Amino acid sequence: MKKIGVAFLVASAVIASPLLALGQDDEEGADDTAAEAGDTEGEPEEGAEKPDGEEAGLGSICEIDPDACPKLDFDKEAARDIREQVFAVQQLFVLRRWRFEVQPFWQVPLNDQFVGHAGPGLGLNFWITNVLAAGISGNYYEPFNSDSDFNFQTRRAARIGVPLTEYRWNANVNFTYTPIVGKFSGFGDFIFQYDAYVVGGVGAISTRPIPVIDPDNRGFDWETNIAFNAGIGLHIFFNRWLAATLEVRDYVFNDKLENTNIPPGSEQDPDTWYGETQLTNNVQAQLGISIFFPLSFEYRLPK
Amino acid sequence: MLKKTTSNGREVAQRKTCASRLVGAVLGLAAFFGAALLPNEASAQEILLTGPLAGAGAVHNLRLYRKGRVEFAPTATFTLLDEYLRQIIVGARLNYNLTDYLAIGAWGGFSPEALHFEAGLVDRIQAVNEARGQNNAQRLALNQQPNLQNRLTSLNLGQNFADQLGSIDWIIAPQVTFVPFRGKLALFQSIYIDADLYFFAGPAIAGLTERADCSGPTSAAVGGCNSETDSGQVDANGDPIPIPNSQAFPMASRIAIAPTFGLGFTFYVNRWNALGFEWRAVPFARNTGGFDNHGTGPDGEFPDGQINSDDRDLKLNQMLSVSWNFYLPLDYQVSE
Repeated sequence: MKKIGVAFLVASAVIASPLLALGQDDEEGADDTAAEAGDTEGEPEEGAEKPDGEEAGLGSICEIDPDACPKLDFDKEAARDIREQVFAVQQLFVLRRWRFEVQPFWQVPLNDQFVGHAGPGLGLNFWITNVLAAGISGNYYEPFNSDSDFNFQTRRAARIGVPLTEYRWNANVNFTYTPIVGKFSGFGDFIFQYDAYVVGGVGAISTRPIPVIDPDNRGFDWETNIAFNAGIGLHIFFNRWLAATLEVRDYVFNDKLENTNIPPGSEQDPDTWYGETQLTNNVQAQLGISIFFPLSFEYRLPK
Repeated sequence: MLKKTTSNGREVAQRKTCASRLVGAVLGLAAFFGAALLPNEASAQEILLTGPLAGAGAVHNLRLYRKGRVEFAPTATFTLLDEYLRQIIVGARLNYNLTDYLAIGAWGGFSPEALHFEAGLVDRIQAVNEARGQNNAQRLALNQQPNLQNRLTSLNLGQNFADQLGSIDWIIAPQVTFVPFRGKLALFQSIYIDADLYFFAGPAIAGLTERADCSGPTSAAVGGCNSETDSGQVDANGDPIPIPNSQAFPMASRIAIAPTFGLGFTFYVNRWNALGFEWRAVPFARNTGGFDNHGTGPDGEFPDGQINSDDRDLKLNQMLSVSWNFYLPLDYQVSE
């Protein structure tokens, strides 16, 4: 048992050790960016005190040739319009390049009035740059499908069965792109950072009809369908490795519905159980957290 | 410990070994998760408690887009998660911003018939309704009574299902708006705009159209709930043959008072105009399909052959608005 304990400690040390990522390893690029960020940054401002050597040099010029001596009207200079280049967000609060993002979430459906498909999910992203990530994500639905009262009421009142579908799971590969970063001040007192991203990809979803039209005879197996997904989301950062995540994503797939007719004499023939195939949009609101690994990073970007 | 030879001693030794294993496992797990989850470098935003910025506000020279200004915002509001009828409500919001974080005002709008859009379920129900009508006509031609199933729906389905759907015709909501979050965002690190996030709440007064109250099995034309009409024909037994689902149900207007609340984003385009996106909920009970859902039996969960307030179900009535906001005076103030 001591060996197991030691093994855990060793594993812990291995996991804990690479907890520092470099946000940018291109020193040359950093210098370029620095030059773009503010042309005047790092240079002494006009009118500011000059080093002794420079002062001495200027004095010498004035002594030798008074006409060449620089004459500055400081009031005029102060009133001059300075057009310094300023970025909307001067420094990214969180650098993501070469970091992993683990994103557990809970999702609720936004567009299915008939069956609730709430459930947990997990996303894993690897950030290739500060704005682009490749990742995988998945949802688990099976124990959480719920047939709403509304379906029962419609069946009872109008004697009409509405084909229903339940989901089991889905799994996707996706790319995430972050075009928007920003910050908010809360109550004029504290500042928090956020970003907005778009996400899209392709995957699979496992579904089957809930037998409504002829539940006595029909029983459906789970089938896997190709599903495309696209969405938008927000990261609201609590610190440089933890954020709340709110995402709305649409999973689009072809759904095979239950046949609303019961061919006489073929009630138990599975070939007659399926009806039309319908393009289905499953729009989900996903609320969760994001944890970025390694937990910290080193800035090599200009402020 | 293992050198003890008595059975009792062996048990003690085994117990101690188990206990030490358990402690070892717990310590190992604690070390594992502790090391994996705890950062080894402090990374939260630095708070300057001393120096020249001590006690300073988070933002200086803040553009006060709201303080002392009137906001007029034409809105287009889209209802969400509708079972039968999707609606667009056109309207406007008028706010006076007492401060940069507090405003009083009202939002209102109306939804004309042209901005009512039936959901796919309505078409599906009406298709079945019409198929039943054809079946009834065929049986009538043979002097036969309609199917029992078709007769049973006469309480709930009229000639055209779309004509009995409940709708929100107009709504007005005095409200207080609180703006706790104010910030900016950068698009592709080149375009930046100021933005705020606000919350609002207040009472809402909504004008609704729903299927009119009725009671009894007689024809809807005389105040009953049944959409059957008499065909004037009799079957082989001499009983009159009705035509089910052949009348339109009368509709009635009513006013519902409910709370409303929500949140929204404002994106300031320039000094005097902005784009807005807003989510709103107006929870109240309504009968969207015109069905007899409740009224009798345990907890009133069974149909009672009447249409009345018992048949309404509580709904959140969610809406999404887009707005184009204008601010007067045209220029804003700037904080210290």
